[in-house]
Amino acid sequence: MNRSSRLLLPALLTGAVSLFSAGPKPSAAPKGPLPKGNCAVCGMYVANFPDWAAVVTFKDNAQAWFDGPKDLFTYLLDLKHYAAKRNSSDILSVQVKDYYGLKHIDGQKAFYVLGSDVMGPMGKELVPFATEASARDFLKDHRGQRVLPFQEITSQTMKSLE
Amino acid sequence: MRPSVQRYRNILDFALSSLLRRKGRNLALICVYTLVVFVIASLIFFVQALKREARELLVQAPDMVVQRMVAGRHDPMPVAQAETIRAIRGVEAVQPRLWGYYYDPVYGGNLTVMATDDTALAVESVWVGQGVARSMRVKEGDMISLRGYAGPMLFSIQKVLPEESELVSSDLILMSPQDVRSLFNLSEGLATDLAVQAGNPRELPTIAAKIVEQFPDARPILKSEILRTYEAIFDWRGGLMVVVLSSAILSFIIFAWDKATGLSAEERKEVGILKSIGWESADVLLLKFWEGSVVSLTAFLGGVLLAYVHVFFFSASLFEHALKGWSVLFPRYRLLPALDGYQLAVLFFLTVLPYTAATLVPIWRAATVDPDAAMRS
Repeated sequence: MNRSSRLLLPALLTGAVSLFSAGPKPSAAPKGPLPKGNCAVCGMYVANFPDWAAVVTFKDNAQAWFDGPKDLFTYLLDLKHYAAKRNSSDILSVQVKDYYGLKHIDGQKAFYVLGSDVMGPMGKELVPFATEASARDFLKDHRGQRVLPFQEITSQTMKSLE
Repeated sequence: MRPSVQRYRNILDFALSSLLRRKGRNLALICVYTLVVFVIASLIFFVQALKREARELLVQAPDMVVQRMVAGRHDPMPVAQAETIRAIRGVEAVQPRLWGYYYDPVYGGNLTVMATDDTALAVESVWVGQGVARSMRVKEGDMISLRGYAGPMLFSIQKVLPEESELVSSDLILMSPQDVRSLFNLSEGLATDLAVQAGNPRELPTIAAKIVEQFPDARPILKSEILRTYEAIFDWRGGLMVVVLSSAILSFIIFAWDKATGLSAEERKEVGILKSIGWESADVLLLKFWEGSVVSLTAFLGGVLLAYVHVFFFSASLFEHALKGWSVLFPRYRLLPALDGYQLAVLFFLTVLPYTAATLVPIWRAATVDPDAAMRS
C-alpha cells in the first residue's frame, strides 16, 4: 500500500464510528392554539417559537402575531409605523404566553419581568406572567431587574432591552 | 443523438463489457463489497431505529423523576415531599410512583412490577406484558404466584398488554398500589419516586435546583438526561459492534484497495493499446471511473437494500442480541421503517467515493505514460 492509503484507513473507520452519533434532537410539543405566519415586526416565523408567541386581535378579527412580547410592544408602542390604518381603540385583545404555564393569557393584565437571564427569540425579553406573585418569584430565580404591568411599559423601557 | 452523449455511451458500453470480461474477479469484489455495506448499513439503521423508538417512548415520560438517595443508594421516598415539591413555582403536577423489580427464580429473569391507579384493574389481579406471558406460558384468566414479603401471593391475570407496547411493557406486571405495597413490604406514605411535570420545560433545571436545596437527599433526573443516557448506550453498543467488525471491514478495505489500485501488467498493456489507437487520457480515466462506479454503486445499493430488509423486516436478527439486551425477556417487535438521508449520504461517501477515487489514481498514472512505454513494460 502507498502512503495515501495508510492515511485513509483510519479516516474511514473513525467516520464509521461517528455515524452513530448523528440524529435529530427531540423538540418539545407546543401547547395552546398554534401561531401562524410571520412576526409583524421582525418577519421571523412565529411557529418556530410557540413558547413565546404573542398575538394582537383587532375588532375586525384581523390578527397580528409576534415571536415574542418584545416585538409585540415594539408594535403597540409604534402602531402608526407598523399599521398606519389602525389605532389603539381598534384592539380587541392582546394575548401573550404565560412563562410558567405556556398558555395564552390576557396581555393587558399580565406582568412583565425585565432584565432576567432568560432569553427570548430576539434576545433580551419581557417575560410575561399571569400574576404578580409568579413574576416576583421568577425575578428572584432568574436575576430579573423589574416587574412591570402592561401599562407601564413605554418606549423608554424598550430602549433598555436593546 | 449529440456526439458528446454518444461518446459517453460508447465509453460506458466499453466499461461494462470490460467488466464482463473479468466476470469472476468483479463478481467476487461486488459480493464482498455488498456484504460490508450491508453490515455497516444494518448497524446504522438498527441503532438509529432504536434511538428513535426510545425518543418516541420518552415523549410520554415525566419531565423529571425525583428519587431519594440514602448513602448513595436509592431509597423509598416519603409521599409527603410531593406536596412541598408541588408548591415550587413552575411545577404543574407531582405524581408519586410505586414500582420495583421482582426476580423470578423459575425463569431466571427480572420482572418490573408497577402500580397503576387505573380503576379497571381489580385488587389481586394483574396485567402482564407479552414477554411475561410468553415465558410463564400464561394467558388471560390464568393465575400466577409471586413470592411476597409475607408469603406467596396469588394473582389472576386480567389482561395481557397489547403487542404494540412491547418494547417497554415486555417484562411489566401492573397491579394495584396496595398489592405492590404488600408484595414489597412498603409502608403507606412511601413511594419509589416522584414524577414531576413542569409547565415550561425551560424551568426544569431551576426546579431541580430548588428540590435539591430543600431536600439534600433528593436526586432529580431530567427527561433529557434519560434520553441522553439511552442514546449513549445505543451509541456505545453500536460502536462496540463496529470495533468487533472492524477487522472484517479493515480486511475488505485492504482487499478492495489492492484490487482497485494494483494495476496488472495486462491492464497496463490495455491502457497502452487504447491510447495508441487514439483514446485520450481523459477517455481512459472516464472508462475506469465508470468501471469503478458500476462496481461500487451496485454494491452500495445492494447492501443498503439488504440491510433495510434485514433491519425492518427481520428485526435485525443477526445482531439483535448484542444490541438490544433487555436481560432475559427479549421484547419481540418490529421496528418502524425510516430512512435518514443524512446517514445514507455519509455511508455513500464512506464507501463509494473512496473506492472510485482509489481506482482512478493508478489509472491516471498509467494513462499519462507514453503508450509505447506502457505496452513494452
